[in-house]
Amino acid sequence: MMMDNSPARIVDPQDPELSPERLKERFGRDFFRDFDIDDPNLNTHFHEVIDLMVQKCPVAHSKVGTGYYVFSTEEAVRKIGQDWQTFSSAKGYIPNRPDDMPLMIPVEQDPPNHTAWRRVLNPHMGPKVMDAIRDDVAREVNALIDKFIDRGECEFIGEMAGLLPGRAFFIYVLGVPVVDLPELVHDVDKSLFGPLDERTAYHKKVYDYLEKFLKEREAMEPQGDIVDTILKGVTYGDGSEASWEHKVSVVLDLTYGGISTTIYALGSTARHLADHPEQRQQLLDNPEWIENAVEEFVRAYSPVVAMGRTCTRDTEVEGVQLKEGDYVMMGFSSAGRDPRTIADPKALNFAEPTIHHPTFGVGPHRCIGSHLARMELAVFTREWLRRIPHFRVKAGTEPVYETGFLRAMSSLWLSWDK
Amino acid sequence: MRMKIDETLCSGHGRCAKFAPNVYTLDDSGYNADVGQIIAVPSGEEDNATKGRKACPERAITEVDG
Ligand code: HEM
Ligand code: SF4
Repeated sequence: MMMDNSPARIVDPQDPELSPERLKERFGRDFFRDFDIDDPNLNTHFHEVIDLMVQKCPVAHSKVGTGYYVFSTEEAVRKIGQDWQTFSSAKGYIPNRPDDMPLMIPVEQDPPNHTAWRRVLNPHMGPKVMDAIRDDVAREVNALIDKFIDRGECEFIGEMAGLLPGRAFFIYVLGVPVVDLPELVHDVDKSLFGPLDERTAYHKKVYDYLEKFLKEREAMEPQGDIVDTILKGVTYGDGSEASWEHKVSVVLDLTYGGISTTIYALGSTARHLADHPEQRQQLLDNPEWIENAVEEFVRAYSPVVAMGRTCTRDTEVEGVQLKEGDYVMMGFSSAGRDPRTIADPKALNFAEPTIHHPTFGVGPHRCIGSHLARMELAVFTREWLRRIPHFRVKAGTEPVYETGFLRAMSSLWLSWDK
Repeated sequence: MRMKIDETLCSGHGRCAKFAPNVYTLDDSGYNADVGQIIAVPSGEEDNATKGRKACPERAITEVDG
């Protein structure tokens, strides 16, 4: 049967709210018939766009580059993520992938090569390992708070969120020498949020540092940690051994997978609690709700807007016919706010214990850092509320966001009574 | 009450064990230790087992009859 993939199939032509003119007037772009993940208008109208999309246009189309589809419902995202045979990661996780973009492993691999890496990496990133570094992370949070608490204000991204994930990962997971940290964390930050024309140079600097770090560790006695596991490598499905470049790529994927995402999760947690004193009070009164609250924060404010797959064969999702080679995106941020799975998706409900969402991905590529990120977010929330129970967004300031395939926050001023 | 943990769907979110640590056990990587199995839910743990089932982002847990 031939499917009708015209915009009329995707967007209800009778709905005046969805007419191209009305959408352009409201958002500066018709995001439903021609989505663009990099359009600054998406940044400005972010939640309005994704909420309307998941409600009324669960399959948006984009004409950018070779074109792509964005699937917004929790069910479609889950189906695509789980079916790696049909939806391959090997051609990149962003649409129109630039040729000069360095290969990321394991995120740009399919089973069985992907499985070979995950099997050996997973035990180093599991919940037990993360439980064991809980107190260390709490100490890091407190050391950062010590530096600004007496001032009665801080720029949360620069002084807390931008520093904690790097310190947690580099010190306690990768075991990078502590003396190297300030520069490394600074360089990672510049490579992500620095001036556009400097990002590539900083990215190269981080790459060179991590490659040198691996080289040095190769010459040392094994320590039984994740670095040794990466150095040992894996055998791929065709019998070949993972190359040196692939090993460096794994370290880069672990580094970049975790920094910007966790910064945003910390930032949106802090902002939500600053703006909602009554929910802050709930957590002060019921600290046992903090882990649920973390799930709600990442569900409602997903750091990954969307990531993609390439169709390996003709197929159909949500009634839309897809062809081999088509690019599809999983809209994680809209899927976490899907009214089909969450009764009141815009409200955060800390008492509700059965929260499910695809914020950490679905299927074999499920975020390998999810246990680390969840632990960091819970420890942060507990320690921050213990030290600074009442705080607000500083009067006269506005949090600053950036949006691409990731949602990011680059500035958040908070203040409290000294 | 009995629960089946799907072997191919479980991808190690570890959410099930958060809500029902006496029902679902995780391996060191955070995957359900009983993938491919049907497990008997201890009596009194039915509510927790259901919460854990619903919290699974992969829908890897299903209740089976008997
Ligand atoms: C709140 C924080 C985080 C969020 C929301 C997040 C989200 C995600 C998502 C959605 C994916 C799936 C990608 C796909 O399906 O193609 C993913 C994969 C990945 N994440 Fe995270 N992540 C977070 C934190 C971290 C941390 C802390 C680390 C590392 C220390 C990390 C490392 C990775 C890696 C290496 C992958 C690729 C896994 C694979 O392809 O098998 N992430 N993450
Ligand atoms: S929540 Fe689901 S995917 Fe996660 S460990 Fe449990 S069964 Fe597996």
